[in-house]
Amino acid sequence: MLGYNRAKGLVNLNQKNLHSLTHYYGIFCLLSALLPTLGVFFIFTICDDLVFAELVKEYIPNEVINSKDYNFTIVLAQINNSVEGLVFGTPPQWVTNAAEIWKSWVIKSNILTMIVCAITILTSGFLSYKKIHSEFRSRNAVEKIVMTILGVSSVIAILTTIAIIFSVVFESIRFFALIPYDEFLFGTVWNPQFEGAERAGSGQEGLSQYGAIPLFAGTFLISIIALCVSVPIGLLSAIYLSEYASSKERAFFKPLLEVLAGIPTVVYGFFAALTVAPFLRSSGSMLGLDIASESALAAGLVMGIMIIPFISSLSDDVINAVPQSLRDAGYGLGSTKNETVMKIVLPAALPGVVASIILAVSRAVGETMIVVMAAGLAANLTANPLEAVTTVTSQIVTILVGDQEFESAKTLSAFALALTLIIITLGMNFYALHVVKKYREQYE
Amino acid sequence: MNSKKNDLKSLELTVGDVFSKNARLKARNVNVFYGENKAIDNVTIDIGSKEVISFIGPSGCGKSTFLRCFNRMNDTIDSCVIQGEITIDEENIYDKKIDVVPLRARIGMVFQKPNPFPKSIYDNVAYGPRIHGLSDNKEHLDNIVEEALKRAGLWKEVSDRLSSPGTGLSGGQQQRLCIARAIAVSPEVILMDEPCSALDPIATAKIEELIHELGNEYSIVIVTHSMQQAARVSKRTAYFHLGKLIEVGKTKEIFTSPKHNQTEAYISGKIG
Ligand SMILES: Nc1ncnc2c1ncn2[C@@H]1O[C@H](COP(=O)(O)OP(=O)(O)O)[C@@H](O)[C@H]1O
Ligand SMILES: [Mg+2]
Repeated sequence: MLGYNRAKGLVNLNQKNLHSLTHYYGIFCLLSALLPTLGVFFIFTICDDLVFAELVKEYIPNEVINSKDYNFTIVLAQINNSVEGLVFGTPPQWVTNAAEIWKSWVIKSNILTMIVCAITILTSGFLSYKKIHSEFRSRNAVEKIVMTILGVSSVIAILTTIAIIFSVVFESIRFFALIPYDEFLFGTVWNPQFEGAERAGSGQEGLSQYGAIPLFAGTFLISIIALCVSVPIGLLSAIYLSEYASSKERAFFKPLLEVLAGIPTVVYGFFAALTVAPFLRSSGSMLGLDIASESALAAGLVMGIMIIPFISSLSDDVINAVPQSLRDAGYGLGSTKNETVMKIVLPAALPGVVASIILAVSRAVGETMIVVMAAGLAANLTANPLEAVTTVTSQIVTILVGDQEFESAKTLSAFALALTLIIITLGMNFYALHVVKKYREQYE
Repeated sequence: MNSKKNDLKSLELTVGDVFSKNARLKARNVNVFYGENKAIDNVTIDIGSKEVISFIGPSGCGKSTFLRCFNRMNDTIDSCVIQGEITIDEENIYDKKIDVVPLRARIGMVFQKPNPFPKSIYDNVAYGPRIHGLSDNKEHLDNIVEEALKRAGLWKEVSDRLSSPGTGLSGGQQQRLCIARAIAVSPEVILMDEPCSALDPIATAKIEELIHELGNEYSIVIVTHSMQQAARVSKRTAYFHLGKLIEVGKTKEIFTSPKHNQTEAYISGKIG
């Protein structure tokens, strides 16, 4: 904090002196003083915990280290809790001592960080200050720095994605070491059990089965129901909004539709479970149909409502982007409004409409909350929307929630499911982009 | 009685002969408003059968607005109000009984920027005949498309790639495609709003030649800001200024001996 303030003071000073040349000099000074300092600050704050953890080992009594169930992570957590004032029961004296020492280190390291930061700021600020003379091209330098910042930001985003994919891939590899991948991909029974439960023979006999087909079938059944709801409604409302509604109606309806996108999916979930599902059940029994209280239909319908705004809002933008001159050409040839919309505007907007539908599909495939609450957990392999099904995402949730043994095939299967899901959605997006590109090439 | 008086009033404004012996389109005392703003002020003019007439004038004087009155394209603009009377073959096109769909098939339009549909060349031309149900079978439709493309002077260039997208053609070809699209529904009148302003000189020359030929079969109204173009393609020229029709006459006379001093100022480059 102090270092930051100092930096400000220094840079302000610099700016005042340099402003007469050009503000780029000021920005250059600011950036070249702040960036290294920020870097140093981050390194210090990240490293000090690691260093302290090493140092604190000395303060753990030998008898604790030698005892049977010694676990450094737990001890460290104990000490950390104590540092933060969270005390459960009466901790041993040595923990309190270690915590006291830790606290003193924190203060020391904060001071150290501040000093180092201040030095960095002063030196780098001074260096950049020295660099400034009439021939120094600070504009180019600033440009370079800004470019690097932008580049680093996008690299961070990409690296995060890669890291996520890798962690999923590694866990999946461990899973496939336990379960052959063909059983996973082509098996039609999904019945994961903890090994412990199996060993104990808790009524459920036989081996666990990890056939993912029922899960993916459930996912696609629900997604298709959702699309059957959302594509017509979303597309038609987009057409209405962009072509038929007066500007007043548009200003009223469009935000209203977009509110749908802002409702948390949990709310949709209990709407599906508490309102739609019972309604379907009672109306089904009137017609003599037996609808499960948790059915693919209820989840699909509500999910469809959830993704309407994705389709309508994006399609509306795309339809609006169709040039007015095409509409004029249509009217000039004597088309009715309807003909113009259906035969000219929509075909021209098709790539964008396809893109919005694909986006909606990947939302539907990845959606979790609604299906967890409304579709049930029974891994039925069925095409009947009236039965309970389960989806990939809701299985992942049930597997990872609660107590678990991390090494078991059941837990690891969540990663394999996630990996397959990622591959499928990636494939879908890839294909969609390909389609869109083809249309673009054709009609540009 | 009243209308005659109005006629006289607008005649006072306009120099030259606004009437035509075999008039196909007649505009009488037309006023056009965009909200409060009056864009066309009491214009009376005849457009003859198989006549090419140019509308010229400084930009913003209302040429496009007036042109769009003839096929009721101004209906698509909410704020636009039209007063007066426009007839085609003695039929009032603003009559409540008139359906704009067949009207616009009778009066085709070509726009300033080439605007082919994002469809194949064939489908572009076939669009009009299809929506108006002009053909009973595929063969007939093929004939209509071929005929229209030939008349638009595009057939030779595109006959071997009718299924490729119309948007892939060059600007001049696109504009001729738009002309083909317009004549595929056999209109009686073709309205053209600066059809060459987005084209290079060679493409422009081709379109002008085309307009010249089409003038033997259709009535053509062409808005242009190029006086040379008006001189090349049209027999008659109308000069507009600030929403008023200032002068109408034979193109040659307008350019050589304009009667109104505003026309003269424009021709000699003092306005515009
Ligand atoms: N859609 C419109 N809404 C409101 N005013 C318009 C519209 N189109 C044209 N105008 C106005 O009408 C007048 C005539 O325009 P326009 O017919 O386009 O002129 P020109 O084609 O001769 O350049 C201009 O003052 C213009 O601002
Ligand atoms: Mg114009």
